[in-house]
Amino acid sequence: MTNRIKEFRIRQELTQEDLAKKVNVRRETIVFLEKNKYNPSLRLAYDLAKVFEVSIEELFSFEDEK
Amino acid sequence: MKNIIALVIVLFLVALTVLLWLGKESLGAEELISLGVILAIVGFAVFILIRRIKSWKAGEPQEDELSKKVMLRTSSLSYYVSLYFWVFLLWLKDRVAFEQEELLGTGILGMAVIFALSWVYFHFRGVPND
Repeated sequence: MTNRIKEFRIRQELTQEDLAKKVNVRRETIVFLEKNKYNPSLRLAYDLAKVFEVSIEELFSFEDEK
Repeated sequence: MKNIIALVIVLFLVALTVLLWLGKESLGAEELISLGVILAIVGFAVFILIRRIKSWKAGEPQEDELSKKVMLRTSSLSYYVSLYFWVFLLWLKDRVAFEQEELLGTGILGMAVIFALSWVYFHFRGVPND
């Protein structure tokens, strides 16, 4: 799974700290998310999509891992 | 805040126990090694404590879904590795003269070190979903 969190965050002129506070996680979690080293829970994905005012599908891309 | 207080209490108890132990015996080479390992573990706990205090001051949660997952994976891996560590110690016991207290002490300290290393591994590697 890949995501566009960094792109949307920069577009909204948010720092990692700002975004972390908005979705109530630690800054490190945002760092790992942006590096695609961690897949968030559905709840966190929903919160992130809400902050950026986009759909979850726009924010995250799923690739078949076969 | 509860987590910070709990960690401070644990650190205080460990420091107190080490001080009592140091006051009782003169230190040989084995004791010095044990003391070094204990200090390394205390250093790790202090590092966790500082992280939590920083998060608390910054208004971030001290734990979130990633840190909980890291802790879960750490517990799982360290338990698994510790089993092999104890098997190794029991194998070693038949070949090297060990006192029972030394064996237990080595086992407990070894488990703490395995836990700390597992945490460092998952903390820096991340927890990719399977």
